[in-house]
Amino acid sequence: MAFNSFEFILFFVACYIIYWLMISKQIKIQNLFLLLAGYVFYARTNWHFLFYLIAFSAANFFIGMYMEQTNNSRTKQWLYYTALLLGAGGLAFFKYFNFFIDSFKDAFQLIGIGLNIHTLNIIIPLGISFFTFRTLSYIIDIHREEIKATKDWVIFFTYVSFFPSILSGPIDRAKTLIPQLEKKRSFSVNETIDGLSQILWGLFKKAVIADNCASYTNEIFDHHQTYQASTLVLGAFFYAIQLYADFSGYSDMAIGIARLLGFNITKNFDFPFFAENIASFWRKWHMSLTTWLTDYIFTPLNFTFRRLGKKGLFFAILINYTLCGIWHGANRTYILYGFLHGCYFIPLIIKGTVGKKQNMNNNSLFSSFIRFMNRMGTFILVMLTFVLFRADTIQQAFSFYARLFNTSVFSIPTIENSNLPLLTPVLFITAMLLIEWMQRTKEHALQFNRSGGLKSYSIALLYSLIIWSVILWGYSGNKTFMYVKF
Amino acid sequence: MVNCMDRNEIINELRNIFIGILHHENFVMSESLSAAEVDGWDSLSHMNIITEIEHRFNVRFKLMELNKLNNLGNLITLLEAKLQHK
Repeated sequence: MAFNSFEFILFFVACYIIYWLMISKQIKIQNLFLLLAGYVFYARTNWHFLFYLIAFSAANFFIGMYMEQTNNSRTKQWLYYTALLLGAGGLAFFKYFNFFIDSFKDAFQLIGIGLNIHTLNIIIPLGISFFTFRTLSYIIDIHREEIKATKDWVIFFTYVSFFPSILSGPIDRAKTLIPQLEKKRSFSVNETIDGLSQILWGLFKKAVIADNCASYTNEIFDHHQTYQASTLVLGAFFYAIQLYADFSGYSDMAIGIARLLGFNITKNFDFPFFAENIASFWRKWHMSLTTWLTDYIFTPLNFTFRRLGKKGLFFAILINYTLCGIWHGANRTYILYGFLHGCYFIPLIIKGTVGKKQNMNNNSLFSSFIRFMNRMGTFILVMLTFVLFRADTIQQAFSFYARLFNTSVFSIPTIENSNLPLLTPVLFITAMLLIEWMQRTKEHALQFNRSGGLKSYSIALLYSLIIWSVILWGYSGNKTFMYVKF
Repeated sequence: MVNCMDRNEIINELRNIFIGILHHENFVMSESLSAAEVDGWDSLSHMNIITEIEHRFNVRFKLMELNKLNNLGNLITLLEAKLQHK
């Protein structure tokens, strides 16, 4: 049940009416309703694994509670490692088992030993990476004594299966979402308008930008051996925009939907294509995953290697980003993607500028040439790694790269398929980037101060144009979101 | 020498460490001072600060102890406890 489907609209409108008009005064019933809605939403998408989701939630709920109650530090440690094993084990089995087997077989093949081990036909539960990371953060935070375990099973189960973000994030932490589930939510007109605006912007990015870009990227990537380098650059550019518009569009819709229900969930994107270096890019791209990895992987590693100075920082970053790549799936392309991003940090580590945040508020509308070039450079580096994201195998990606780097890169790009005019997507992408640039200090691109006068008319015109774009150019064939598979 | 320092001496020493790592003095050393209030005090510079504190005061921290720190006051209290147990 994708957010941009008619089925979801019906489902959500029904939920919204019941939630605010019939049960708004009883927080316990509201939470129970959210839990049931979450399970209906998950079952409609992936009913086979609903039992796994429930059992996984129950196991983590009881482990968390017993970790809190017991005074025996040994029992506490044992429970902690059991929960980590449960989460990591589930991920390892569903997402990585076949990859481990294949890699094992390949490694033995290299030394001339053929192993007769068979892979399994495993179906991956949708959203497993997202809800597993939620429960892991809950258990780790209890172990670190940063939060208390909740005693309310409805709240915990709702936290794990919170339907706006269960399939593709953002990865909400227990300390962010559970306190909101414990408090009464109040209806707010401003929050509703803001939530609807963010949903509209997400829908625009998904239906108008991402889904239309997909036609071009499919054509160029699938036939890359017949195209010249300039067209491949265009394909890589369209894919970078498609990935961003699809995933950030989903996140905007998830955040907007949660806001309509009275929740503020974690921000996931902060206009990443305006980042001036790779560290800044990762502070703005898939922020909920980046902060999760920073807190639970990078910081402990950086702490362990702290006496090695810059070398220690490099090792911590390299391991962190390689794991970030692996998180996306069991494919060598993702490992290389993460590894390359880790390597991109080397100049910043040498210069000692990894941690320096750029202050975008101090910018004039037209940034300096150097800053513009930094943005372009960062975008190109990221765009090149996204080729790995799009490719099914390393060989396919390298075949793309091999054709990309030659003199035909200076020719005019052409696409053989006459049904794909280049002007329309370029215009929409320019409009999206322009609006996001002007709104880059806001929480999302359609957040405006609603004061009267001409500005209100301009805003109304912009909203109308976006709505009409979705109606007229919104591609209706592709309902699925790219990050759902992760 | 360092294990008989009083709270004010610790604060002065920490101030020097902060200036050395962060390269500015735009902060007031108060008990409630937190990383969010100081320009450039992020997770990376925090680790540099901790490493330098360990070096200057000849102490070792555990990650669990650092995770519980909310402000400068917490850090000073933790440091005092470590110095007393040396």
